[in-house]
Amino acid sequence: MEYREKHRLSTTGIPWMLVWTRRLQRFFFLGLVYLLLIDIAFAFLLPVIYMASSSLMTVQDFLDPGVFWIPRVVYWDNIVLAYQSMDYLVGLKNSGIIVGFATIGQIISCSLAGYGFARFKFPGRDFLFMLVLFTFIVPPQTIIVPLFILYRQLGWIDTFMPFTVPAFLAHGLRGSLLVLIFRQFFKRQPYELEEAAYIDGCTPLRTYAQIMLPLARPALLVVFLFSLVWHWNDYYEPMMYLMKPQNFTVPLRLQILQQGLQEITGGAAGELFNEPLVMAACFLVVIPPLVLYVFAQRFFVESIERTGLVD
Amino acid sequence: MKLRLTLRQRQSINGFLFILPWMVGFLVFVARPFAHSIRLAFSKVDMMAGFRLSFVGWDNFNEAFFIDERFVPILVTVIQRNLVDVPIILTFSLFTAFLVHQKIRGVTLFRAIFFLPVVIASGLVVQRLFQQDVGSIEAVIGLDIPTLVYMYLPARFADIVIDVMNRLTLILWRSGIQILLFIAGFQGISPTLYEASRIDGATDWEIFWKITLPMLSPIIIVNTIYTIVDGFTDIFNPMVNFLRTVAFSGSFRLGYAAALGWIYFILIFILIGTVFISSRKWVYYGGERDS
Repeated sequence: MEYREKHRLSTTGIPWMLVWTRRLQRFFFLGLVYLLLIDIAFAFLLPVIYMASSSLMTVQDFLDPGVFWIPRVVYWDNIVLAYQSMDYLVGLKNSGIIVGFATIGQIISCSLAGYGFARFKFPGRDFLFMLVLFTFIVPPQTIIVPLFILYRQLGWIDTFMPFTVPAFLAHGLRGSLLVLIFRQFFKRQPYELEEAAYIDGCTPLRTYAQIMLPLARPALLVVFLFSLVWHWNDYYEPMMYLMKPQNFTVPLRLQILQQGLQEITGGAAGELFNEPLVMAACFLVVIPPLVLYVFAQRFFVESIERTGLVD
Repeated sequence: MKLRLTLRQRQSINGFLFILPWMVGFLVFVARPFAHSIRLAFSKVDMMAGFRLSFVGWDNFNEAFFIDERFVPILVTVIQRNLVDVPIILTFSLFTAFLVHQKIRGVTLFRAIFFLPVVIASGLVVQRLFQQDVGSIEAVIGLDIPTLVYMYLPARFADIVIDVMNRLTLILWRSGIQILLFIAGFQGISPTLYEASRIDGATDWEIFWKITLPMLSPIIIVNTIYTIVDGFTDIFNPMVNFLRTVAFSGSFRLGYAAALGWIYFILIFILIGTVFISSRKWVYYGGERDS
């Protein structure tokens, strides 16, 4: 005790001076980290906050430079009007069908393909897998014209087939990436379970469905969320293949906002069409995935780490 | 009757069965359109006569490079933006991932925020949103930077800097997935490596350059390729819009559009090929890697 006090040592025997410098260093380091994190988060959230706040403003508030972020009166009419002009429910139905079928299709077909590539040896496997990766780097713009011609000849224009059928065949939006995620996941699993199943006379398909798929929950969740969000947000392909407004998905309905407003107000759209209304419409587009994400994000971040996507 | 097959043959058949849906999809939705688009690129398409093709040789390509005065400037812009954006996104996401990887309170909240753009960044919404200038640097830090930049930099260079600044949030918004992959990468580095190097007296700085970065190099390459592909299909990419205009607005010049699509593809292919080949020099793959 006396020795420690005399030499100014802490209970662990390290000089107090050093302990305090370390603590101070740590304190400043943490402060810096938080400062940067908050700064980046602010830059990320700014557009979202802007969207939310201006969609609740009256035009007067919006144009008034004295009103900053917080509207004077909370004005819900923008959202109501945007909802009606976009014919939101019809859009929701269309988006729901496309997103629902495409997501289910991709989960089934991509996990099958991923499992096949991960667990079976067959001639040409590595070459075929190269083709999977190759598909990823082919921009949709390169093959959009022949695809358009193909869908036209099949009579698929203005139907939901161009989105759902490729999804069930492990393609569609970034299908190759999803195959890759499943392959990486299945590759990391131990062989023992499958061997046991085969010895008991289980068929490969049943082994996959009843043993491997339940194990793949983290990968399934990741793929589910990616597929869902990408399909919901997609605009490029719906814009190509959907012509009639009644078939438009929710994001596409931003394009016909003004026209819809024209119809429901009987030609008075000129005065009513303004920035807060557009922001309200945008807000309606992002709300469904946002709500889903708020609930799923806890599991999501965990799952990403467990899928072994990166090794 | 049951077929007698060796184990290996059975394995092959099962494997093929599992990837069969993918193979059908590949043939119908990738391989065939791909081959078709080569033919289209050398043809003139008559829409009215059931898409009949008439061969025109290199005319479409000739037009793209020497006649159409819109195409080349757009191509240059796209290449230039990508060359600037990719390093920014990579550095930013690596840095952010490093911050979020710290074991401190509330870090999960930040992770959730940084992934948010992936969830809500619907092309059309983003387009509307960023028409409002909320994404420029002035909106974020409230300084009149452009005047400063033009004062100190040569005009050509300053244009690029301003272009980046105006799209800053937009660029940052494209780094959600990259941040996620880097976080996973940080977690994959074995702590024993850090301990060993610390015992040998390495400083934090040295540890970052000699351990963290090499161990992350496989992810850096994945992220680079992802960022390039992502950037080439972005809604703000002028080429994407130009191609759509050529193909589907009014004139329906499908053959010409296919040729443009091919030029675009070759460009991406060269870019990614370069990244890939150079990566053999600097990517470190840990000890045992089967497959």
